[in-house]
Amino acid sequence: MRRSVLVTLLLTLCAGTASAENVATPIPIGIGVAQTSNVALLGEEEVVGAKIAEKYFNAHGGINGTPFKLVFQDTGGDEAGAINSFQNLINRDKVVGIVGPTLSQQAFSADPIANRAKVPVIGPSNTAKGVPQIGEYVGRVSAPVAIVAPNAVKQALKEHPGIKKVAVLYAQNDAFNTSESGTFQETVKKMGLQIATLQKFQTTDTDFTSQVTAVLGAHVDLAIVSGLSADGGNLVKQLRQLGYKGPIIGGNGLNTVNIFPVCGQYCDGILIAQAYSPSADPKNAINAAMADDYRAKYKKEPPQFTAQTFTAVQVFVEALKKVEAVTKKKITQQDLGKVREELNKQIRTGSYMTPLGKISLDQEGEIHQENFYVAKIKMDPNGKTGKYVYVK
Amino acid sequence: MTLAQFLQNLLNGISIGSVYAIFALGYTLVFSILGIINFAHGAVFTLGAYFTYTLAVGQFGINGLLSGLNLDLKVPFALSLLIGAILAGLVGVLLERLAFKPLRTRGADSLLALVSSLGVALVIVNAIQYLVGAEIYTFPSQVYGDIKPAMMFEVSGQPVVIRTVQVIIFAVCMVILSILGYLISFTRLGKALQAVAENPTTASLLGISVDKIILATFFMSGFLGGLAGTLVGTSFGIAGPYFGVTYGLKGLAVIVLGGLGSIPGAVMGGIVIGLAEAFVPPDYSAYKEAVAFAFLFIVLLVRPQGLLGRTHIQKV
Amino acid sequence: MDDFLQNNGFLIVTLVQQSLLAMSLYYPLMAGQLSLASPGFYALGGYVAAIIGTAEYFAPWRDSLGWVVFPLEWLAAGIISAVLALLVGIPALRLRGIYLALATIAFVEILRVICLNLEITGGAIGIFGVPQLFDSRWNYIWTFGPLLILMLFFSYRLDRSRVGRAFKAIREDELAADAMGINPTRYKVLAFVIGAVLAGVVGAMSAPFLNTWNARQGTFDASIAYLAYVLIGGSRSMWGPLLGGTLLAALPEILRPLKDSRLIINGLVLVFASIYMPQGIAGALGNIRSFTVRKLGFGGGEK
Repeated sequence: MRRSVLVTLLLTLCAGTASAENVATPIPIGIGVAQTSNVALLGEEEVVGAKIAEKYFNAHGGINGTPFKLVFQDTGGDEAGAINSFQNLINRDKVVGIVGPTLSQQAFSADPIANRAKVPVIGPSNTAKGVPQIGEYVGRVSAPVAIVAPNAVKQALKEHPGIKKVAVLYAQNDAFNTSESGTFQETVKKMGLQIATLQKFQTTDTDFTSQVTAVLGAHVDLAIVSGLSADGGNLVKQLRQLGYKGPIIGGNGLNTVNIFPVCGQYCDGILIAQAYSPSADPKNAINAAMADDYRAKYKKEPPQFTAQTFTAVQVFVEALKKVEAVTKKKITQQDLGKVREELNKQIRTGSYMTPLGKISLDQEGEIHQENFYVAKIKMDPNGKTGKYVYVK
Repeated sequence: MTLAQFLQNLLNGISIGSVYAIFALGYTLVFSILGIINFAHGAVFTLGAYFTYTLAVGQFGINGLLSGLNLDLKVPFALSLLIGAILAGLVGVLLERLAFKPLRTRGADSLLALVSSLGVALVIVNAIQYLVGAEIYTFPSQVYGDIKPAMMFEVSGQPVVIRTVQVIIFAVCMVILSILGYLISFTRLGKALQAVAENPTTASLLGISVDKIILATFFMSGFLGGLAGTLVGTSFGIAGPYFGVTYGLKGLAVIVLGGLGSIPGAVMGGIVIGLAEAFVPPDYSAYKEAVAFAFLFIVLLVRPQGLLGRTHIQKV
Repeated sequence: MDDFLQNNGFLIVTLVQQSLLAMSLYYPLMAGQLSLASPGFYALGGYVAAIIGTAEYFAPWRDSLGWVVFPLEWLAAGIISAVLALLVGIPALRLRGIYLALATIAFVEILRVICLNLEITGGAIGIFGVPQLFDSRWNYIWTFGPLLILMLFFSYRLDRSRVGRAFKAIREDELAADAMGINPTRYKVLAFVIGAVLAGVVGAMSAPFLNTWNARQGTFDASIAYLAYVLIGGSRSMWGPLLGGTLLAALPEILRPLKDSRLIINGLVLVFASIYMPQGIAGALGNIRSFTVRKLGFGGGEK
């Protein structure tokens, strides 16, 4: 074992970027997400999505007959780790493009590196404002939440017309939830509702009794929670256990079956703002294929990050096909630098039919997604498993 | 603040404080004997919860080497809890033998124990992820039998609530405290433990096997950590391999506040920090974390030996 | 060589950066003070640079100063860190041992939460698009490298100066040092401020290097990592922080080919390094050297 490490090390140290070289076969696509650290909970969902995509698209002929392979480089949970991962993917693994990183903060750190090296990046889960604007080689398939959040509030009002006072709670140490909650707060005010209490917490928190009792004390008619699975799930559970009876809206961070074990039967009835729904559109064949594969393996519904990472790989695969169509040459017979450049152009043309529905990336690299959903969680009587029932 | 609100904050503080306290008990036990911080305590705490989960549920998720495995041992929860805690205790023993004893015998800088225990923590946490992934695992809701999820009473017309599982954790905390108190004050083991804590050289001259006492302490620390991990896991779920480690920082604050090495101090420190957090007004909830540490900073400046600690000069 | 730097430039500069942060913890430790405040000042320095680099208010400065703004950022970070270090250090350094360690950790946490909540620090997302001094990550060696050489020279001189001897006297026995007419408080605060200024300047250099800055930069985990650098490197030698910072920060990257198990091995290395090199790497190397000098007659008998 030790020997092989040394050998790899020596090899990697000796290997250099030849100024002109062709793309390797199978075509390498990089996946730089968090496989270790406490961000791995999210990263693991992404790894699964990438692997399903690799199997699926290679089984469907790869890039016009040429297979591709995914190269995984762990980013860990921090900024330096993300840069190291990207450097490895770009210089050592010589990938044509990168899917990653997991967190927006990491994207702000590592994406400029890829951008300077002229390597296209697609963010599977970076939703913060400003990510696609990092540079011309940076794009994402994770929609910012401005569109999806208001729909959930509208749905809650439709079901409970009497809503006047609202409690808003969010994980303040998380970039995504902070900006999502901002959208929720604006929506609530715009609809003439009153924010009776605004509570902040940390994604690492577990006990929410203070926040919950503040919500109970404010006598609100609606609670809106922006958090991730562990903290958000616990918050919902404690809200219900301590006697909150009104409707709950969960942000996009709760759009994962990972919350089911946390809040169990108490998850029932949460309205979720979804950028991905496993079952809303039965006519979406590629989603059905991905979701079926996932269900067959793991006996549960695919989470959003899995679908978004699958989508990111899909965008690369289809754009690579377009590169071959435009250049009229096999990818593997072309210079790596040129392929990266052309690939980046092709990513931004046309549209893609993905598990997220029909999407396209504009010139800036921002995703334009047609469908967003509002779903309601329906828990099975055993309190362990459940479904997202599409509402709107 | 109305009386009901005051009582509610008080309960909230005790509720979260008892979690801090139960974490800190095993932490402080090792400190009382060796005068060092065991950074692997958070990892042992986590491991205890995973052990119990394996025995009581044993159903693993989709990541890691054991993905898809369903042991389905269905060991009754109380027994799983006990075995889980014993296993965690044994890990504590192993930890002492691998990471602490070699340093003592070589007369290394006592700060180095921080690094070696940190190394062990890194191994444990990543081994857990390697085996069962970073997913969230939870205990079935009825592990404590058919209890109501929350208790509620009224004070001058306003409701005051607390989650039942928090009451259980608080009760367990108090029971452990009493048992430890009895063990330390009234048994031979306890007397020996005190002697070693006071002065190991003198203790060994008195015929006490210092080595055995240290082992026993690590077992107890691991046992308590594992027990606490499971209990906290039943309250919040096991949120990945880092779930215990995140208490490490607060735990450190708790044991220093209570007075290093003081067992009642650890419980009191936990409750005091819990209360300090609970009484932060809702509008300033964003600063809650800072308030606990600001409070700690001030207490340290006023009373450097902690609330229940004794004054003694300690060199780095 | 170019290819090598292309591949490893970022990592190499990171090793220098981490070594410098280890040094910032080493100076207080030289005076016997276990201060874990470095990540706080590191975060602060980074914010100073990121704010000067991006805020609207400083735009005219940036336009008229050009690249000169970068050294000014370092200077500003150093001064602000020094002031804060004095404010925190004077009361906190009355504490000893683990109590001081905890007070400094509390300081890091308080600072982190404040930064998470302020608008000027960008909340949870932090500050991004920090202006660049260089295009290639490797070129940042021209900021961190000279600082490292400067600090090594400083350490070398300090070791042999009156101040350095006072630090060591306090570390060995504070009461005795006091009795000999050394003012412990003054020297302890001085050591603390030196460490803080260094961490602040490194932070200011790191914001452009990492492209972005946020509250995740200054945490408890970082405190412990820096402490591990110093102890594994050797806390009694000026070379210790450099050796420890370089090796420990490189370790997870060297182990990258091991994929999923790399951090398990990383942990094991920490345990074995603590056990088999109780004096740190510098200590272990010193032993080998004195062994060769003694037994084999090398080195002209200076020892």
